[in-house]
Amino acid sequence: MIYRISALLLLIFSSLLTSGLRIEITEGIKDPIRIAIVPIVWNLENPPREYLHEIISSDLESFGEFESLSPKEMLSLPKTDKEIFYRDWKLLDVDYLVLGSALQGEVAGEVVVNFSLFNVTRERLMKRSISTGTTFYLNALAHVISDRIYNEINGLPGIFSTKISYINKNNSSDEKYFLRVADIDGRNDSNIFSSTEPLMSPDWSSDGRRLAYVSFEEGTSRIFIQEIYTGKRKSLKREKGINSSPNWSPSDRYLAAVLSKGGNPDIYRYDLEKDTWKQLTKHFGIDTEPDWSPDGKKIIFTSNRSGTPQIYEITISNGKIRRKTFEGTYNARARYTPDGRSFVFVHRRDELFHIAVQSLRTAKLQILTDTRLDESPTISPNGKVIIYATKEKEKDILAGISIDGQTRFILPTNSGGVREPNWSPLLVSTSN
Amino acid sequence: MSLFDQFLIIAAVICSFSGCASVSMDRAVEAETVSAVSESEYSDSDNPVEGTIYFEYDKYNLSASAVSEIRALANSIKSSSSKVRIEGHCDERGTREYNLALGEKRANAVSELLQVNGVSSNSITTVSYGEEKPVAYGSNESSWSKNRRAVVKVL
Repeated sequence: MIYRISALLLLIFSSLLTSGLRIEITEGIKDPIRIAIVPIVWNLENPPREYLHEIISSDLESFGEFESLSPKEMLSLPKTDKEIFYRDWKLLDVDYLVLGSALQGEVAGEVVVNFSLFNVTRERLMKRSISTGTTFYLNALAHVISDRIYNEINGLPGIFSTKISYINKNNSSDEKYFLRVADIDGRNDSNIFSSTEPLMSPDWSSDGRRLAYVSFEEGTSRIFIQEIYTGKRKSLKREKGINSSPNWSPSDRYLAAVLSKGGNPDIYRYDLEKDTWKQLTKHFGIDTEPDWSPDGKKIIFTSNRSGTPQIYEITISNGKIRRKTFEGTYNARARYTPDGRSFVFVHRRDELFHIAVQSLRTAKLQILTDTRLDESPTISPNGKVIIYATKEKEKDILAGISIDGQTRFILPTNSGGVREPNWSPLLVSTSN
Repeated sequence: MSLFDQFLIIAAVICSFSGCASVSMDRAVEAETVSAVSESEYSDSDNPVEGTIYFEYDKYNLSASAVSEIRALANSIKSSSSKVRIEGHCDERGTREYNLALGEKRANAVSELLQVNGVSSNSITTVSYGEEKPVAYGSNESSWSKNRRAVVKVL
């Protein structure tokens, strides 16, 4: 009995310890959307101990766009449409209201949640929806419901069912390098690969099932592809010199990457069906950090061909290269926004490295972050949020900012050593 | 030996250690201003075919003293017919993949000069670690200047 309790405690503590990447808002928007998630009515014999409405509320609040009302503040707890008195909710300045009930599914452990979203200002029902999940993993079900609520209100996919991969390495020479994947709320933080030699540059495949990354386990850099759920690994044909910066094409057929076999780092394309490399850029300077445009027709990359690192874009069909950044002497590692209209990158100003965004059409550059050693920006699949790596008190941590610059947050951990975040694509369909 | 004597000896040892540390720290600061000064004389290895060459921020050109250091290394490598591996490294500033490229440029700069001085290309391998393997962990110039380096190791 004591063993069981201690085993249980250990499980609880270890899950508390591993869920390090919790989002902590440091600066929110002035006027967040106010939403009330009424506690879900459980029509189950053994309702789970975790509260669905709490997970949904914390999901919606996580990037600062929403503020949710706690049940204690609610004037009534309606169970059905008829029990809603809009006046009560207007009094509390609530914009949206969610009611729901959970039923036993057909299979043991299965839960079916019916929920309804109301627009309080317009006093009308916006959406009714059904989501099915399991009591064993209530979070996944809550995230899907949060995604649907978000999608209905903002017209963009919700990102609460997405994951993040990152590299973990603590600051001493004897620590290992870890490639890890966690849910975006910090739960299910798990190890994908570890090595005593450096691991770098994880990049999610467009189907969300594989990670490409660089490993030095053979003494030099080599690109590997690993299936996340089976652990199956394959390596790309290694070439002399640098093998780095893998980036999946939108179709997952190709990887853009960097090889220096020609004497200096250039951008290449690896064909995963034919297992062959094709050279895309050829210059005696450094070409690196490729990223495919969302339509798959272009690749944005960093080159120091002008003397300092700047952002360039190549059209794959004709090899035409255009310089994109002209402000400053250090612009690097660009990532396209999901709409393909802008790119987010690292920009140096006054000897400090910040995350910036630039429109491809107007070329207007906007610095987003006020931290100092920022790098590795990764954009949420709905284009609203950026997570990046930075330093806080000499520790490697992740931080984030909304693309409009209004919300800022950090993802603190006890140990530090967290870097190279890469946001997964949407993993479950948010439309219904 | 009395307890007090032991204390004195320990204190003396500590003082001499800290004395050394402050001297090498001063030299490191010098190195950053003089630019890319070779500091292999402070490295752990006494092997004449091993050494560390330091670089300026975001640069991979060799200073005059680095050139003479590499010439001496070339002579030792040739006379001992050793095989060497050159590791290129960077400080933490800037992006990781760009730094991986920069680290390779540093390793190649050393490799090319060894070859100019008669070392066969067959005896040299290079690898860049970018900013992935720092020797100093602070976010300040004294750490950065130690990390911007190419390390020649005998295989």
